[in-house]
Parts: sequence; C-alpha cells; structure tokens
Amino acid sequence: MNTIDWVILFTTLILIVAYGTWKSRGSKNIDGYLLGNKSLPWWNVCLSIMATQASAITFLSTPGQAYEDGMRFLQFYFGLPLAMVILSITAVPLYHRLKVYTAYEYLESRFDLKTRSLAAFLFLMLRGLSVGITIYAPSLILSTMLDWNINLTTIFIGTLVMIYTVSGGTKAVSMTQKYQLTIIMGGMFIAGWTAFSELPNDITFTEAFQVAGEMGKMNLINLSFDLGDRYNIWSGLIGGLFLFLSYFGADQSQVGRYLGGSSVAQSRLGLIFNGLLKVPMQFVILYIGILVFVFYQFNQAPVFHNQSLKDKAMQTEYAGDIAALELEYNDVFVEKRKEAVNMVEAIRQDDAALVEQTRVSIEKIQGVEKGIRAEVKEKIAAAIPGANTLDKDYVFITFVMTYLPHGLIGLLLAVVFSAAMASTASELNSLASTTAVDIYKRSIKPVADDYHYVKASKWFTAGWAVFGMMFASIANQAENLIQFVNIIGSLFYGTILGIFLSAFYLKYIKSNAVFIAAIIAEAVILYCYFFTKMAFLLYNIIGCVVVVVIAYIIQYIENQGTKKASQ
Amino acid sequence: MSEEQDEKPPVFSRWSAWYWLLMIVLAVQIIIYLFITNSF
Repeated sequence: MNTIDWVILFTTLILIVAYGTWKSRGSKNIDGYLLGNKSLPWWNVCLSIMATQASAITFLSTPGQAYEDGMRFLQFYFGLPLAMVILSITAVPLYHRLKVYTAYEYLESRFDLKTRSLAAFLFLMLRGLSVGITIYAPSLILSTMLDWNINLTTIFIGTLVMIYTVSGGTKAVSMTQKYQLTIIMGGMFIAGWTAFSELPNDITFTEAFQVAGEMGKMNLINLSFDLGDRYNIWSGLIGGLFLFLSYFGADQSQVGRYLGGSSVAQSRLGLIFNGLLKVPMQFVILYIGILVFVFYQFNQAPVFHNQSLKDKAMQTEYAGDIAALELEYNDVFVEKRKEAVNMVEAIRQDDAALVEQTRVSIEKIQGVEKGIRAEVKEKIAAAIPGANTLDKDYVFITFVMTYLPHGLIGLLLAVVFSAAMASTASELNSLASTTAVDIYKRSIKPVADDYHYVKASKWFTAGWAVFGMMFASIANQAENLIQFVNIIGSLFYGTILGIFLSAFYLKYIKSNAVFIAAIIAEAVILYCYFFTKMAFLLYNIIGCVVVVVIAYIIQYIENQGTKKASQ
Repeated sequence: MSEEQDEKPPVFSRWSAWYWLLMIVLAVQIIIYLFITNSF
C-alpha cells in the first residue's frame, strides 16, 4: 500500500458515506425512512438486490473457493432464477397490494400475531448473526494485511455504514448501492484481467480454461445425486430454489429492497434482471479464482496465503522449520512450472498423451505441495496456539496485494469495503425495520407519531450495528466465511419459508397449526445440524417440508376435534 | 397508477414471456456449463 492506494481507498469511502447521507437527507416520515417513499426504478431495485446479496465475503471467499475446489460452487446459484419467477408471480404483487413495510406484517393478516412475531424473531436471529460476519470479513483483511487491530477495524467499518444508514434509511442504502456495485464490478474485472495478462507464454483465455480443466478445476456441473455432496446440480436447483425463495421472499433485507420499487412492474423487473445476471456474475467471480490458480502454476505461490500470520510464526522457535519447508516448497514449484509450460505446449500441439503425462506429473507435484503446506500449517498452529490456519479466504487478497499495481490495490480494497458496506447497510436497515414495525410498533408502543417511529428506527439501526460489531469479534472461529453465512441462513430459512408457503398457498392451514409446526421444524433442523452430516442446503427443504406437513396434520386433527365437538 | 396499468410489462405483452426468457437463459447457461465441464 502506498499513498495513491490510501487516497483512492479513503476518497471512495468518504464519497460514498457523504453521498448517501446528503442524498437521503430529509426522510422525516416512516414511509420515507423504511420504504424510500417507494420511488425506485427497476434497474435501481436490481442493483440494490445484487449489492445486498454480494457482500465482501463474495469477493474474498469465492475466488478462494474456486482456487481450492474448482468452479462447482456455481451450481449453488441455479435455483435463484427459478425463485425469481415464483416470487414475481406471488410475493411481489401481494406485498405491494397489502402496502406492508415488512414481509412479516403479512403473516399477521394471514395467521395471527404470534406467527408474525415468531417469523420476525427467526429473521432477527439469522440476520443479526450474519451482519456480524458481513462486517467481520473486510475487517479481517485490513487488520491482517495492514497489521491493524481487528476490533478497531470492525468499529471503523461498522461506524462508516452506521453514519449513512442511520441518517437516511432505505433511500440512503439504495442510493449508495448503485455506485458501490459499479465500483465492485469494475474492480473485479480489473483484477481478473490483471491475473490473465500476467500469465506467461502468451497463454490465451481458452488455454487458461484448458490448464484449469486438466487440473480438475472446471467442474462446473456435477449431475450425480448425492445427499452428502454440498454442490451438485440437484442440491443447487432444489436446495438453492428453497434457500433463495426464503432469502428473497421472506428475508426483510431483500424484501425491503424490492418493496422500494415504484410499482409492481418495477419490483418484478428488478427481480427478473437479478435472475438473469446473478449466475453469470458468479461465474465471472469464480473464474477470477481460476485465473489466480492458473497464474500460480507459472508464478511462485506463497506457501501460506495469510502472510501476516506466517510472519508472526517466523518470530518464534518454529522459524527455522517453516523457512526450510518454504525452501522445499519453492524447489517443488520450479518442477511444477516446468511441467505447466510443457502442458501448454502439449495443448498447443494437440498431443493428448503428453497432456496426460504432464497432468499426472503436476498432480504428483501438487500432492507434494499439499503435504508441505499441511506441515507449514502444523508448524504455524504449534507456534501460535489457537491461530486459524485456514488460508483459503486470503488467496485472492494476497494476490491483489502482491501483484496488482499501486492504485489498483487501493481500488480493490475499496471494492471489498464497498461490498461490505452495501450488504451491511441493507441488513441493518432490514433489522431496524423488522424491530421497529413487527416488534416495537406492534407489541410495545402501538400509538405514536411518525417522527417517534423514525427516531426509534434510527436507534434500532444503530443498536444492530453495535450488535454486529460485537458479534464480528467472535466470527474468526468460522471455517470458511461464505459457507458459514450460508449455514446460518439454512438453519432458519427453511422454517421461515414453510410459514410463508403455508400462508401463500395453503388456505387450509390456520395459525395454531403453523406456529407449532414451525417450532417442531426448527428443532428438527437443529438436530440435523448437530447430529448428522447432511449437506446444509438440504436444511432449507427439510425445514420447509416439516412445517407444511406437520401444520397440515395438526390442522387436520384440530378440524376433526372441532367436528366431533360440534356433533 | 391503477393496478391494471401497473401490471403491464415492458417489451413483451405478458409477464409470462419474461418468465420464459429467464428459464430459457438458465437452461442455455446450464448447457454451456455442462459443455465446459465435459470439454476441459
């Protein structure tokens, strides 16, 4: 990082905060503060939805995911376009017609207060926890890469978001998100292009595909049906559909975005374009990870991607061991590079036998590399007890910091910050809306003027921001950030979706039945999480199905009892 | 703006056309990704 990087980073951050605060000034009523006066055109709804979903975790973790595990994570998003269609047909017109502030308000008109409160509570649980992760991810980078204190970094990011989110509410969130997403997409494109242009021997785009493919990284589609496999086309289409139906249909952080659309048509188009763009966007982000992987076939990769942690370990008695392993790792790389160059030549000459021969050689070398890396991790763990030695999330940012020219480093850090701020802002805004409308206004202080509720919403926004910052301090125990967020989501989304599906489509089911069924479903999901090895995407299906089936059975029994009593 | 006017989609005469477009784009992408998986 040099002066240019710092100037770019801080100018971007200050401009975003100032713009959001200035542009949304004067939101004095609750309609303006929580719904942005329903004034957004479809493209702004779409950008807002995409910016909300694409958190800093997406840009940090996803390239690392592709680097380690290939492109198969893409299948996770296949259910999203299907969910957009279903929600455009059902939820969007319904929410607009009922003129609700939050999705949970609808549940009271359909069921009763306790069901509305339960769904709102489950949402506050899952979103409250994940807002901590959303703030934690960029804090982790800055604190690690720049050797800053993690808690101070968390407070810095949380406070930046808090300033314009508290001040301007939904309008500030949406107004800033369109610029944040522009910075994000521009920055990621530049990072991908840099990785590609730094490849040696004039390797073409297709050859990069081929090298990655030979290394087993172009595993985009897996047609086999395996309940224990996290990412295959079936878990993506079915599990993903349920997850995204819940996320976009029953999670206020997304419902709040399209409720800000100026009409049903604008909200619908926003969702449809999100469905058109999301999968290709994830493809691009994953492919950037693949380009980084190919780049490291020809350039020396760090033996451990979390450089700061390694530096700390190097100050202990294990320094000698780690240095020796690093030398060994560098020697192995020379061999790997030779084989990688041979592989490209073999691909160009269309020599299948030589391609296979080099592939086997590289695979062997990678096995040795993996062994050395495992040893390095063991040494670091021994040197710094309790340290997290998983370095997948550092792959991309270490690449950026090491290989991108100055100026672009600042821009890429601005990307990560922008992404974090965009999604955190939506989360805080939705947490505040739900707390203010579904809990405070409904059950604590039902009669007050608009000014009071706006003020209360601002306090709730600030309160959730503080909670998020506090939770962020314990988030570093998570195995992989993006998976952790998805696991938290899957623990609650299935139940929430079951409640909403019953509300939308099953008129037979009444309030008591759905309430008891939702509690049973949540218990079943928690059992699956703690006592089985089931893929977490399936929790969404199980939770939803258990709610619907149990609610149906309870309703049937209740109806039979009522019939007998009336006879 | 009335509900009826509001419901009219741009470009196509029916919303179902937009939904089909979304489904077709997804199907085409899956075919392309399958092709990439099998080719590389």
